[in-house]
Amino acid sequence: MARIELVNLTKTFGSVVAVKDLSFVIDDGEFVVFVGPSGCGKTTTLRMIAGFEDPSAGEIRIDGRVVNDVEPRDRGLGMVFQTHALFPHKNVAQNIEFGLRMKRIAANERQKRVRDVAEMVRIAHLLDKMPAQCSGGESQRVALARTLVTNPSTFLLDEPLSSLDAKLRRELRAECDRLHQTLKRTFIFVTHDQEEAMTLADRIVVMREGEIEQVGSPMQIYADPVSYFVADFFGSPSMNLVAGEIVREGEGARFRASRFDIPLPPRFKAVPAGRATLGIRPEHVGVRRGHNGSTELPVRLVEPLGKDTLLYFDDGTARAFVAVSEGFDMAEVKPGDRIALSFDPERLYLFREDGKRIG
Amino acid sequence: MTKSRRRRVSTAIRYAVLTLWAIIAFFPIYWMVATSFKPDTQWFAWPPVYFPEPPTLDNYRNVWFGAEQYAATQYAISSQKPLISLGNSAIIATTSTLLAVLFGSVIAYGVSRHRILSETRMFQLLMLRMIPPIVVVAPLSLYYAAVGLTDTFAGLILIYFLTSLPYAVWMTKSFIDEVPREIEQAAQILGASRWRTIFEIVLPLIRSGLVATFLFILILTWSEYLLALIITKTQVTTVPIELSKYQGSTEGRVYGRQAALSVGITIPLMIVGLIIRKHLARGFSFGMVRR
Repeated sequence: MARIELVNLTKTFGSVVAVKDLSFVIDDGEFVVFVGPSGCGKTTTLRMIAGFEDPSAGEIRIDGRVVNDVEPRDRGLGMVFQTHALFPHKNVAQNIEFGLRMKRIAANERQKRVRDVAEMVRIAHLLDKMPAQCSGGESQRVALARTLVTNPSTFLLDEPLSSLDAKLRRELRAECDRLHQTLKRTFIFVTHDQEEAMTLADRIVVMREGEIEQVGSPMQIYADPVSYFVADFFGSPSMNLVAGEIVREGEGARFRASRFDIPLPPRFKAVPAGRATLGIRPEHVGVRRGHNGSTELPVRLVEPLGKDTLLYFDDGTARAFVAVSEGFDMAEVKPGDRIALSFDPERLYLFREDGKRIG
Repeated sequence: MTKSRRRRVSTAIRYAVLTLWAIIAFFPIYWMVATSFKPDTQWFAWPPVYFPEPPTLDNYRNVWFGAEQYAATQYAISSQKPLISLGNSAIIATTSTLLAVLFGSVIAYGVSRHRILSETRMFQLLMLRMIPPIVVVAPLSLYYAAVGLTDTFAGLILIYFLTSLPYAVWMTKSFIDEVPREIEQAAQILGASRWRTIFEIVLPLIRSGLVATFLFILILTWSEYLLALIITKTQVTTVPIELSKYQGSTEGRVYGRQAALSVGITIPLMIVGLIIRKHLARGFSFGMVRR
């Protein structure tokens, strides 16, 4: 069991600041996902926790003990790498057994534990194979098994699924979830995939340029993004973000852009006029054929997905404005048709020019 | 000319050039083997004798086993015993090569992973090897005489080890660079110490490279002449020194014996090469770790 504290953690490589004054506490048994674009410092943070990078400043504490100077092998952690990092010259059983051998566990006990864990992640049939004979998904299961068998207090997972295809990714994602539920250990998972973050995390840490942009549960992050960056990063299809300006109109305010003119709900009545970005998620955009006097846009592309239909509108920018319509109601719409849009006033977001959320 | 015809012609030319080259390259080896089986009357014969007639083992018997009936002839010039020299060479070359590869790979690991030597230092290390041995051999022999290393196994092993260390570091480093760091880190976080990681993970992964390095250095030390000539006398002669004795102002040119000796010196290297050829192909292709 482990509670991990990061205190004013900073890491610089030459003049590049990879992680900037990061403070964060990961509770015992929590599943925390660090997410962000490449270069945001999430992997560096994980590697500092593992002990492969020395922090330039700040402290890492595991269960209250400062571990900055503790070797990786003495931190009681387990790590799964993006590249699996199996030992190519050892077979699967020997790979899994390695950690137990290092801990000087007796041979018969080792065998038993290797078999148990192999069954747990369903690779018992692979034990005699060499890593080169395993597929990508199998290799990652072996890597998981190799970590599991040593019974670490915390699992560090560095983009473990990113080298797999979509189906395997979903499958192993479920596997990670299941393991977390059964083992009740601390999981720290790094990914650039917002969907993985949303589905796995108890808490998501969104990182950007070496700093924490937002921390919260998946629903908080999704429904209550603190900035343009977070709003844009989460959700698929991502949030519609329209650049325009806020104009005051008597007691209230309106948002205007080249093809939009939307009255803002009362909670925005105090916002100052000026340039801003309006955000609304595709599922909160209502679509109706025919004219209703509000915003109306031509359709650029229709994507019937079965359960839903995605409509891409031409809003005069390179990035299409997207709406989701349930079922096939809109599947017959042709590119070029004009469709009336409505916006759920409770689900409108406004962002300042510097990217911070307004209101 | 049609395309297929042009391709046939160019193939023919390529084979012709390669065949010619192969003849040029292999002829001396053939000549060495053929001469070693020639009776003394055919060594200098003109027109040259390409196939010994009749082939004889006298040269081998004489140089390698100092057969009694030849001892009194003018060609029985060796006061040494070539078999002992061969043994000396085997001990000296393999020991110094093993030491060089072992220490070289550990240093190379340090350079590759922890930059214990800067790039400049690495080049300086290689430059050490660029110093002509003839420059250092005289001072070295003075020191050797002073500390009693002249004409000893330890003396020759030490100097061969030191002079081949730069090669060993450079070659093994290029192999270690190929091993993904994450594999080592996986071992570390699973509880392996640094030494354990090197000896159980890194070195086994580059074993083809180590074998290639081993053979490369073995060939150099096996055939090293100058240092051996100066710092050994009569107690620890190596085979290249032995070879030189069959061609001198007093002995004349004892080609048949020399060829028989040369064949004997070459065979051990060929045997080593054959045993490890599986590794050589991979080692010299510099890319053996599957990512």
